Amino acid sequence: MARISAQGLTKVYADGTVGLRDFSLEIEEGEFVTLVGPSGCGKTTALRMIAGLEEITSGTLKIGDRVVNDVAPLERDVAMVFQNYALYPHLTVAENIGFPLEMRNVPKAERRAKVEEAARVLGLEGYLSRKPRNLSGGQRQRVAMGRAIVRRPAVFLMDEPLSNLDAKLRVQMRAEVQRIQRQLGVATLYVTHDQTEAVTMGDRVVVMRDGALQQNGTPHELYEHPVNMFVGAFIGSPAMNLYRGEIVRADGQLELHIGSQSLELPPELVARSPRLAAYAGRSLIVGIRPEQLSLPDPGNPPRSKRLAALTADAELVEDLGNELFVHFRLGVPRLSENAVAATAGASDESVEADAGVARVAPRSRVRSGDRVTFDVVVDGLYFFDEDTGAVVGGRSSSRRGSTDNQIVAEANE
Amino acid sequence: MSELTAKEVTSRRQRRRERARQQQADEGGVPLRLLGVKRRTVFFLTALCIVFTIYTLIPIVWVIVNATKTQYNILTTFGFWFAHPFSLVSNFRALFNNVDGVGVYFRWFLNTLLYAGVGGIGATVFATLAGYGFSRFRFRGSRSAFMFVIAALLVPVTAISYPLYLIYARAGLINSAWGMILPSLVTPVGVYLMRTFIDASVPQELIDAARVDGAGEIKIFRRLALPLMGPGFVTVLLLNVVAVWNNYFLPMIIFSENSRFPLTVGMGVWASHAAQSGDQNIYPLLVTGGLVTIVPLAALFWFVQRRWNGGLLVGSLAN
Repeated sequence: MARISAQGLTKVYADGTVGLRDFSLEIEEGEFVTLVGPSGCGKTTALRMIAGLEEITSGTLKIGDRVVNDVAPLERDVAMVFQNYALYPHLTVAENIGFPLEMRNVPKAERRAKVEEAARVLGLEGYLSRKPRNLSGGQRQRVAMGRAIVRRPAVFLMDEPLSNLDAKLRVQMRAEVQRIQRQLGVATLYVTHDQTEAVTMGDRVVVMRDGALQQNGTPHELYEHPVNMFVGAFIGSPAMNLYRGEIVRADGQLELHIGSQSLELPPELVARSPRLAAYAGRSLIVGIRPEQLSLPDPGNPPRSKRLAALTADAELVEDLGNELFVHFRLGVPRLSENAVAATAGASDESVEADAGVARVAPRSRVRSGDRVTFDVVVDGLYFFDEDTGAVVGGRSSSRRGSTDNQIVAEANE
Repeated sequence: MSELTAKEVTSRRQRRRERARQQQADEGGVPLRLLGVKRRTVFFLTALCIVFTIYTLIPIVWVIVNATKTQYNILTTFGFWFAHPFSLVSNFRALFNNVDGVGVYFRWFLNTLLYAGVGGIGATVFATLAGYGFSRFRFRGSRSAFMFVIAALLVPVTAISYPLYLIYARAGLINSAWGMILPSLVTPVGVYLMRTFIDASVPQELIDAARVDGAGEIKIFRRLALPLMGPGFVTVLLLNVVAVWNNYFLPMIIFSENSRFPLTVGMGVWASHAAQSGDQNIYPLLVTGGLVTIVPLAALFWFVQRRWNGGLLVGSLAN
């Protein structure tokens, strides 16, 4: 067991492609860190570099106190679970799980005891003499896990280990993987493209994009205080709604215009986000979490002045039982998280045809095709720079504080 | 006791049948009618196959039948039926004789066995190692080296026979078994086939997994790659052994002593000797010798075909 420390890891391929750029991350002993991002963002590259399967172009990688940049995988004492399991097809389950021990010349009796122990933890006792071909997908996944946990490695590396399981099994295995990791207390880096998996499993979540680390924090920090539009839109399901808006100064107050609608920005919010004033007269990108939109309860008029209204066309209403997802059109195009000019280039492509999503109370009276007026928790809006995507104000500018909690409490009412 | 054995035999047979069924299922065997092929088409294609099979088997049948005849009967009786006297045994025995001082069949047979065995197995081992290297390692010049191997496929041996002979003369490899074996160890086709096969059958993920699991490269090759290469290995082995077994041109150049001849050259000499001298006993020997020549290759094929089982990777990788 050990901590992992990556400092400025960079991967440049022979053809000049940059797979990973200045990647720095510390994982403490026993910590579970998830690495999340869209495909091609460099998360697997980072993992493979830590495993020793990819050469490190520059930067320093330490496992424990040892710099392992040029150490072969077999001497790094890492264990890895591969996305597609990579089981040895000609070996039995017991031989598969025992393989890392066999390679380290662990005596047979000890090996068998450890394999049985791992099999017991994973519920594979009855399958030890089977070949992978005679196992179900879930069992194969367990064997892949077994191969990692059979010895106590310094580090667990998991590359989307659950992505090939069906939804139900995946949720079940999530808890299982966490349980095993807690039990063994081994530093774990878990790669996934599924933000739900990332936030539910990780003590800490690292968001990546285009080979660069975007943000590193607890799931709560990422959700509440995204550093940029990408993280804001990537973390959270349904995703944050992004629209182009304009800050206008009217009567000494700042107003936010989205299309033809306008929302008054309360002075507290403006005070909290000093940079916002500089955007007066300019456009920026507004992020609205689905739960910050609600439909007024007729018998219960809005109490807070912070609530403003946005009118939209409900295109589709999904009834999830305990809540409703209202897909709506605001009259202005919803943007995707890649809508930042600096990275996306062609801005036309970045405009999503998708409708916005609001998450409202189950008893709200709304049907597909209705024209609805949402109450908006203005305090809960996010503002991002149009060019850089960096956060410039709104909810996320207040780092952890009573005001913040208050807003959350109100938003949840 | 005997009852038990009978039971064992049936269970083994059952198991084999079960395995065949399993294999068919793995390979996604679909009845033809589900593919929308018409019954008449199936009938026609089957008939065509049967005709082709007969065409292929006729010479072999002829050899088997005529290996039992005397020279007179070979030349005068119906080719596809047996005749008196039944002289298979005496024909076979004659293979041990030095016919007209030209040479002894079984001497050549052993030579061929040696050349094809050492050359074929050696070539396969080298092709496997080289194929694995080309397939799974990137090193400076690996691409151009492989291109070089491919280019070697294009050069016919006939074209290089004269320089080869000169080199052999210098190296003292004329009339030496090594002269036959050494060039047989190099098979561009084998390297190419093994590389292609390994690309497809030994996934990089498995090698990565083994590396992380603490296996060194040699252990990975032996414990992981080799078992997965089975079908490719035996295919290349078969091709290599057959290639050396049937090689005529190279031994003809390098051997002048008939005690070094392989079967191809020896029997070639017999054939021309028979044609020139009108020797009464040589035709039966050519026929019987031809029959004996087939046996080891048929045995090898039988041994090898059991290993052509697909689906070795089933269950290893998801999707």
